[in-house]
Amino acid sequence: MNVLEVSSLEKKYREKLAVKNLSFQLKQGRCTALLGPNGAGKTTTLNMLAGLITPTNGSISTSGSSKDIRQLIGYLPQYPSFFEWMSGKEFLTFSGEIAGLTRKTSQNRCEELLELVGLLEGKNRRIGQYSGGMKQRLGIAQALIHQPKLLILDEPVSALDPFGRREVLELLKKLKKETTILFSTHILNDAEQVCEDVLFLHGGVLIEEGPLLEVKERHQTPRLNLYFNEDSEKYKPYLLQKDWVHHLVAEGNRLSFEVSELERDRARIFSMISEKHWGVTRLETSEQSLEELFMEVIKV
Amino acid sequence: MKTCWILFRKEMLELTRNYKLIWMPIVFILFGLTEPLTAFYLPDIIQSVGDLPEGTVISIPTPSSEEVLLSTISQFNTFGVLIIVLGFMGMIAGERKSGNAVMILVKPVSYAAYIYSKWMAAFVLLWVSYGLGMLSGWYYIHVLFNGIDFTAFVQGFLVYGLWLTFILTMVVFFSSLVKTSGLAAFFTIGITILLTFVSGFMTRTLKWSPSQLTNYVNEVILHNTWPDYLTGTIILTTILCLAILLIAPPLYKKKDLI
Repeated sequence: MNVLEVSSLEKKYREKLAVKNLSFQLKQGRCTALLGPNGAGKTTTLNMLAGLITPTNGSISTSGSSKDIRQLIGYLPQYPSFFEWMSGKEFLTFSGEIAGLTRKTSQNRCEELLELVGLLEGKNRRIGQYSGGMKQRLGIAQALIHQPKLLILDEPVSALDPFGRREVLELLKKLKKETTILFSTHILNDAEQVCEDVLFLHGGVLIEEGPLLEVKERHQTPRLNLYFNEDSEKYKPYLLQKDWVHHLVAEGNRLSFEVSELERDRARIFSMISEKHWGVTRLETSEQSLEELFMEVIKV
Repeated sequence: MKTCWILFRKEMLELTRNYKLIWMPIVFILFGLTEPLTAFYLPDIIQSVGDLPEGTVISIPTPSSEEVLLSTISQFNTFGVLIIVLGFMGMIAGERKSGNAVMILVKPVSYAAYIYSKWMAAFVLLWVSYGLGMLSGWYYIHVLFNGIDFTAFVQGFLVYGLWLTFILTMVVFFSSLVKTSGLAAFFTIGITILLTFVSGFMTRTLKWSPSQLTNYVNEVILHNTWPDYLTGTIILTTILCLAILLIAPPLYKKKDLI
């Protein structure tokens, strides 16, 4: 079942199109990463989904019958700004109440969430004294307060140090079991760790989407690395003749190239090595990281 | 409705925590009591610090209680208005700029509840401050002068309070309309000055203009009469306030929050 359906969404600022003809669905229970470089339109897209800015064109529809999309969504902006004069607990209870919870439920929910995000000990301190990581966790807690069907997080980890980042990613893994998540990031490694689906946004256009594994498969070409005990330049001509070797690169004593069929071509390489008595010290097949994959997709 | 009340409570808590709930009444009280005090002690003050040549005879007619009250009100009309404008100009524009508004409006909160809760909090603070200011003025007038008719005082208090409320409504409105709080102050003060200036010229055509409230309040207090057009002016001003409040939320919503 789809939690959210977006069709031909468009946002125009003056004459500049920030998001063009964007369509996608979010399936229930899945964690989706919205990927793209800075300025790709990630924040604009998320803000439209959260109902903070109105799209110039297109529609956003939800599975529920609810009129106000904000009821279904928990949202954490890229730079959350809290009321610094409130304590963490006060802010959470307040957020719950304006989301429609009664005072009592909001207080109970607040305690639960403070425990979940690990803010129990700082709950009575003013938010002005919180560290960046604590604020981020408080931000996630306020997004979850009304048990939204869809959790939208805008760059939840980009501003954090490695420890804070790991904490938040662990938290997301936990939350994944309870709710649908959509989060944007430009750090592809983070996306790889928690999400199942990806949306690639570039220049306001959706250039690739689908389950992470499928997307990887679609763009992945197997690559072989050969390490020699001498300069690899010498062996380059032999391989260049073969029509099943592509994008050959020689770097020091390493030769790196793409092949079309891993099994078959690996066997061919082995036979070449044994026939010609090459001094190969190491042979490895390498998988593309999401980073390389992303560069690949953008080029297309 | 319930959300509006929760937001209102948050606004009041904010006004307490940033001490606005304390300093604004104090400022109004100070203005309220300095006027009767200076009016009463002016001859003495001039005598002791005036550095006048020997033998100068000072004869300043002691003003009537009504005149003192009016000069208190005219203090409010300059400094009071300035404090209202400066104190509330950032109420909505500031929250939008800092990103606090996003944290509220991303929840299922109606834009009307958001703006009205702010207006209500400002309204309460304004009337508490202005009320205490007038009360302290009234007290000193009673102690130092021969007192003032109570009904005239209350009438004057309410009529002039309406003018301040009108200004407050404008500040909140412009604060919701523009992105910087300075601009909200500029528009409010600009319109106030323009309104006062133009209605000063065209007293006949603009006899119902809100700024006439400040003129009519003179008659109410000095002559203890109810001017002809005052009722109409009160009705028109109230309608204007309501109309401004009615169009503020849709206009605020039309602009993208970020």
